[in-house]
This record gives sequence, structure tokens and C-alpha cells, in this order.
Amino acid sequence: MAAPERTPETFVSSVQRPPDFDDFWKQLLAEVAEIPLDPAMEHVPMRSTDEVDVYEIHYTSLDNVRIAGWYCVPKEAYLPPPYPGLLIVPGYVSEPTLPKSWAKQGYAAIGVAPRGKLRSNQNYNPGYPGLLVDNIVDRNTYSYRGFYIDACRAVDFALTRPEIDHSRIGVHGSSQGGALTITTAALRSDAITCGAAGAPYLCGFMESAALTHSYPYEEINEYLRLYPEREQQVRETLEYFDGNNFAPMIKSPMLVYIGLEDDVCPPETGYAVYNAMTCEKVLHTWENCAHDAGAFWEMAEIEAFLAKHLNPGNPAQRAETTVG
Amino acid sequence: MSEKPAGIDAFWQGVDDELASYPARPELENIPMRSTHFCDVYWVKLTSIGPYRIGGYLSIPHGDDPFPAIMQTPKYGSVNHVPDYNDRKRYVMFTLMHRGQRLTDSPWASAYPGLLTKGIASPETYIYRSIVADCLRGAEFLQSHPSVDANRLAIVGDDLALITAARRAEFSHVHAAGLLFYRLMEQREQSSAYPVEEVNDYLRGHPDQAEKVANTLAHIDPIHHVPSIKAKTLLSVGDDGKVGGPEWLQPLKDAIGGPVEEYRVTHRGGTDNDAIDAWLAQQLGREPMSKFRRTMP
Repeated sequence: MAAPERTPETFVSSVQRPPDFDDFWKQLLAEVAEIPLDPAMEHVPMRSTDEVDVYEIHYTSLDNVRIAGWYCVPKEAYLPPPYPGLLIVPGYVSEPTLPKSWAKQGYAAIGVAPRGKLRSNQNYNPGYPGLLVDNIVDRNTYSYRGFYIDACRAVDFALTRPEIDHSRIGVHGSSQGGALTITTAALRSDAITCGAAGAPYLCGFMESAALTHSYPYEEINEYLRLYPEREQQVRETLEYFDGNNFAPMIKSPMLVYIGLEDDVCPPETGYAVYNAMTCEKVLHTWENCAHDAGAFWEMAEIEAFLAKHLNPGNPAQRAETTVG
Repeated sequence: MSEKPAGIDAFWQGVDDELASYPARPELENIPMRSTHFCDVYWVKLTSIGPYRIGGYLSIPHGDDPFPAIMQTPKYGSVNHVPDYNDRKRYVMFTLMHRGQRLTDSPWASAYPGLLTKGIASPETYIYRSIVADCLRGAEFLQSHPSVDANRLAIVGDDLALITAARRAEFSHVHAAGLLFYRLMEQREQSSAYPVEEVNDYLRGHPDQAEKVANTLAHIDPIHHVPSIKAKTLLSVGDDGKVGGPEWLQPLKDAIGGPVEEYRVTHRGGTDNDAIDAWLAQQLGREPMSKFRRTMP
């Protein structure tokens, strides 16, 4: 009998929410709140322009790991403060971008480099491939435990900046950046005003790995090919990190966009995480698009969505295309 | 359009000579985690100029060789993926990391942003002199591998694929997309997107060096290399009137030594991935395979 055709829009995820999911993350947020943020900023004249100042930033996160990032802020002569804040969260293999084009629109924009990314990898460096399966049998040491918190901690950095309007902070990214958009909007629902998540990764981990042989999910297939006896432990760990389980915690408006031929983050899992959101939300789906998630057309939609909720000073400027 | 630098041929001959002075001394180590029931995957180490030990993933299908093969030149960024699962079923795959990228970042780790302008004031000090050498070394390794069918040997990537195909003419096919160094001094005037913006950043701080930078970049501009290409080339072409569009690429297309076909990019990744895959499969005598499976497992 022929295998059935895929119908992503009708997919029902089997991901379970552990009973202590909320406690697990509350405890981690409480733990990191005890660690001094110790924010540092160094102006980078070479990357700054007439309109935008660029800073290399650092702050301290879970396990006292020092996290790097880029902070791009409009010059006062170009646009006066206060500015809406915007976290730009990175994809799996891409290095954090300098979000200068977003700053030109009027955002105080932070390009986050969670642990393991270049400049944040002195004390933790699982590599690529490697990050997705590092300590995957143990939720208390799994790679994304600290990684998710590092992105949340960028919100704390934003809240230290007097030029940012603390009532207007958004988050945006694609692929792993889409995942971090969801987890950050959920874990920091106290501070996030809106989020735009493209091709969300880290949603339905095991279902995704079953639907594709593309990396990074192929790392899970490879790991379980070598260690099939660990599957149950892997499943148990991943439920604590699954975007589907964060989605109902989001309170702010969300834009989700997916490619209907995405071999990297299967569209089924995009629908599932969108369906799990109970906030104000909108979904854009793109026929024949893969992991690009229709970015060629979607960027204008993303800019308009963020501008509607965050009201930057110069929305007529165009942003650099977001890559995952 | 960049002017062909005086002495460019001697410059690159010097790189070839320097490379020839270092034996590659390949080491292959099987990676059980990445190997499957249909292929073995190895981490390969090679010596390039410097001397510097570079690396790459080599995947060899099970069965009777020789096999058609594809070399993937390194992307601009710190990470290159393990070769695609479907590709590993059909081809010998070799994905190179140039010096400074993840897994080849000892003793030197590249910065992003930063790589594009490292040593850019002179072609002799420019990092891409060494990175091109890394690609040439990788090509020599793959071209001489006993499992590779020399008549079905492709190279895919950006400018580095074109330059490598030009200087190591044994490749039968080339696919090039997303060119960075082609007309880069013109590109920079139309873009503030990274990595092109790295050149703008550099020249804002060093406005007196524009001429030197232009001369350095001209040494890497594929237009001065592609007349030596003998392979059949597929060029991905973007939108009319834009950087990367047909008018923009026409001079390059005209300069390529071998036969050239165009693929007009649709910006729909599923469609574009499948079209490029089908072209390569047809040229190399394999069945096309979409990365996106259309039925449930």
C-alpha cells in the first residue's frame, strides 16, 4: 500500500507536556535571577554609521556563562529616543547578525549570541553538528537549558537600557531563531510585546526527526541509530524544551510563517506550534517554499507586524532579510 | 566591473607553486555517528599553504565504485553542514571547511563579521588568497580519490566553486549561486547587508584605501578566472535589474570558458532546491531526489 500524502495542516502533535514543566522553567528563571547580569558595552566605531551606533555587548547568564551580542541603536541625531527594543535571535548554524538595518528603522536592536555561538563559546562549545544532541538524555544538563535562558537574559539586558521603552520589546528570528522567539516570548511574557517566528525549529523534535533527514534534526536520527536504547530518555528530555509546550504561555501577539516544503523544519510542526498558541496570532504559509519560509515576500509582512506593535521611528527603511 | 589586475596570473601561479611545496598528507577518520547503512562518512584532514591543516567531510556510498562525486566549497560563515542525506546516497560527497571555520579553527578562528576584510589592503595578505588555496587543495584530494568517477565530478558553491573549477580543470560540472566577490565593489554601493557591509565598514574607517581594496578584491573576482573553466556550468540567476540578476551576471556568463546554462531563481526554496538537484542528477547520471518527502514515513 502506498504511503499516505502529507497533509501538514491536519497534523496533530503527540508531544506531551510534563506535569512539572512550569516548575522546571520557573526554577531556572529564579536561579538565573540570582546571578548578577553584569552588562558591558563596548562601542565599535568600525561598524557604526552616521545613523546607527554599534556596540559589542556581554552579560552573564545561567551557570555564570558570559554571553555576547551586538547592540545597534539609532544615533540621537538620526532618531531621538526612546526606542522600541527588538531581540534578533539566531539560527542554528548562522552567527548572530549585526541588526543595523533594524536600528535604521528605529529599533534598539540586540543580536543575541547564546552559548556555543562564536564569542560566547569559551566555556561551552558543543559544536555544529553537536548542539542539538549535547546531553540530550538529561533535562538538567541539556544544551538548550542554558541556550534558552541566554536569549531570555537578553531581555534583562534590554531592560537596563534607558534609551529603550520597556513597554515595547519585540523578538524575531527564523528557524532556531523562530524557536527562540517562541521560548523567549513564553518565558518572558512579562516583558515581550510581540514576536515574529519563522520556520520554527525545536517544535515536535521527535516528529520532525521522523519526517526529515535534513540537518539539524538528522543529528537526532544519527544519535538514536547509535544509541537506540536511549530513545525514552531522549523523549523525556525533549518535552521540557519543545516549543509546543511553551506556546500556550505566550501572551503577546505572534506572527508565524512557514514554508510548506520545508525539509529542515517540517511544516506539520509549524502548524502544531501555531495551533498550541492561545495568544492573538496570525499564520502565513508559503507554497513551494522550503526553509526560506517565503522570506522573499514575508519580510515586508514581518516589518509591518513588528511596526504595528512596536511603533519604530522610521518604518519606511527596509530590514535585512532574516535567515535561519 | 573590476579591471583585471596586472600580474594576476603570476599571483595565482605563486599560490599554486606554494601549495605544491606542501604535501597534502591526507588523514581519514571514519565517523560512525554520521555513517549509515548506505555510506561511510569520514573526517579528512589535509595540509594547505601556511602550512595549515584544513578539513572536510567525505562521504562514500557503499557498493561498486567509481561513483559520481560532488565537492561543496565552504560557505561564508562559521559552519558547513555534513553532506545532505540524499546526496550521500547518490554521490561521493566532499564538503570542505576552509581555515578558521568550525572544526578547522585551530590554530586560527575566523571572526564573523571580520573574515571578508582580513588583510584586505593587499592581495598578498588577504585571507582569501589562503582560502582559495584551501579549496584547491580540497579539489586535488577529491579529484585523485580512487572512488571518484573522473568523468562525473561536479563542484558546487559560490565564487570559490568557480575559481576552483577554473584552476583545477578536471571538474565536469559546476553549479554556482550567491556570488559574493563578483563585482563586489559595485555590490557594496547597493547594499548594507552583511557580509557585503563588512567592506563598507572597512572603507568608512580607511577611505584612503579604496583603490587598494578594489585591487585586492579584483584578484578574487571570478570574472578573471572563469575563462579557464572547461566544465559545463549552471549559473543561478536572480531578478531582472537586481544584483545577481541576468543583466548583472551577463558579463560573467559571457566570460565562462565552457558551456553555460542559466537557472532563474524563483525564491521558493522547494522549487529551487528540486530544480538544482534535478540538473545535477541528470548531468551525473543519477535519479533526482527531493529533500522534501511528499508522503508520510
